[in-house]
Amino acid sequence: MRLFFELFKRAFQRALTYRAASIAGLMTNFFFGLLRAAVIMALYGSRTDVSGISIQDAITFTGITQAILSFLNIFGSYDVMNSVSSGEIATDLLKPYSYFAFWMARDFGNAINQLLLRGLPLILTYAVFFHITLPNTLAQWLALAVALMLAWAVSFSWRFLVNLSAFWSPEARGIGRLAFGLTMFLSGFMMPLRFFPDWFVALCNLTPFPSIINTVIEVYLGVLGGPELIRALLSQAFWLVLLFVICQLVMRAGVRKLVIQGG
Amino acid sequence: MSIISVTDLHKHFKVNKHRSGLAGAVRGLFSTESTLVRAVDGISFSVEPGELVGYLGPNGAGKSTTLKMLTGLLVPTSGQLLSNGHVPWRERKTYVARIGAVFGQRTTLWWDLPVIESLELLQYVYKVPRERFRHNLAEFRELLELGPFLNTPVRSLSLGQRMRADICAALLHEPDLLFLDEPTIGLDVVAKERIRQFIRHINRERGVTVLLTTHDLSDVEKLCERVMIIDHGRLLYDGQLAALRDRFGGKRELVVDFAEDEGAAADLSVDGATIIERDGPRVVYSFGRETISASGLISLLSARYRIRDLSVREPDIEDTIRRIYEERLLEKPSN
Repeated sequence: MRLFFELFKRAFQRALTYRAASIAGLMTNFFFGLLRAAVIMALYGSRTDVSGISIQDAITFTGITQAILSFLNIFGSYDVMNSVSSGEIATDLLKPYSYFAFWMARDFGNAINQLLLRGLPLILTYAVFFHITLPNTLAQWLALAVALMLAWAVSFSWRFLVNLSAFWSPEARGIGRLAFGLTMFLSGFMMPLRFFPDWFVALCNLTPFPSIINTVIEVYLGVLGGPELIRALLSQAFWLVLLFVICQLVMRAGVRKLVIQGG
Repeated sequence: MSIISVTDLHKHFKVNKHRSGLAGAVRGLFSTESTLVRAVDGISFSVEPGELVGYLGPNGAGKSTTLKMLTGLLVPTSGQLLSNGHVPWRERKTYVARIGAVFGQRTTLWWDLPVIESLELLQYVYKVPRERFRHNLAEFRELLELGPFLNTPVRSLSLGQRMRADICAALLHEPDLLFLDEPTIGLDVVAKERIRQFIRHINRERGVTVLLTTHDLSDVEKLCERVMIIDHGRLLYDGQLAALRDRFGGKRELVVDFAEDEGAAADLSVDGATIIERDGPRVVYSFGRETISASGLISLLSARYRIRDLSVREPDIEDTIRRIYEERLLEKPSN
């Protein structure tokens, strides 16, 4: 646990050294946020409500997704992949810790950094330009915090799993791009899943992706009633456990291949 | 009780062949032809606690493959390997907690952070008691002169500084065994010397068993009493460095400057030595250990001619090793 914290601290610190990149990222996020908000306004036209989501909620949706996109690494991450294909993984295998936990701690440090440095300023700026919805009870804030953490953990496990493909393919980036493109679409990042036909939503719910974005959004906007909320959080936890187990199995197979075939 | 014992260790790799041309590439999609590379082909040795062993060999000889098996990064194709009481790849986590390893080309340090951050992290990685950790860090910092760059981000370090920091990182948890893969590669003379002194220190003072691979024979000459030479996956030599030199030292050379008037006229040849160079009054003789001693040759020459100056050149270890590789002096006749 102490090690997790120390790794987290260093990853956070490391992310701080890229200040210029953070600022550029923030500007980009904000610009696309405005763009997406404008598209939403055009789509709503004179309507005030679509699928139970008001125009104000829809604009808030664009703000929130833009704010948490770097926290959740929606566009994907390739660090583990690079470490496997460059052979740097060897130095980590020579340490007495779990490779999964090592990267999880690093990812968490980075994620929290992005949440504070990019997410927070972005949502505050949004609040200045638009009327945005805010959770209005303490319970809702708490549920949001839980949903956010679970969303990050699911996102991390999924990205880690995708990255493990590097054990089998020397050019795993293509697999990564496909997988992360899919994540973006099926997680409800582009549009709230409520806007889609029921069959499509049912399909999405068979995947872990809604747990990454859609759940966070619905919890934030408060569109889930008590039991629904509990079910949404449990479903996130379910996907986390499942992905964790798969990661461990695939990791073991990958390391076995590496140590037997020499990578 | 040996700290490392290796018996008939093999590691074979399958390497896929690529056919040439378009037709070959298309055929390659359906079936791959592969060749078997015997990177390590039946080696046996053992290392006693406290030894400092040099592991030599040309590129592709199997040095790194052996080291990877010893550190648990590769599983042997066959053979036995027991190191520090463990089968490295089977009990990886418990095993790596008690060893240190530096692979010269890679770093365990965090690229973007000050050196000290990476070093202090190791206290938690290896769960070293705080006091011991402080003590070790202070000692290594002194010996390796890390002070001036402890707060510099790793990416701004010179190669020599980075290597010193990496070696420090491999030892802070007081491992029983240290594996070094090319620890001095690409370093200048001063940096090499500092690292060698440190390796000697931790070997002598702390009793850490060290196995190092290197291309640099001066590393071996200055550090190791025992060397192992590997080529084509086979162990060619395992023993004292001095014995190696005696056995395969090749010919020594005597450089003689004769007095001016002797030079041109006389024939100057001596039994047991051959003239390999003649440049005015300077003549270079080459002679084998078995045929004549240096002092014998000198007294023979000085009895016959007037000599102004002379010097004996020992063949250097580099030449010796090169001859061992090239002429396969140690290759067993079987197979």
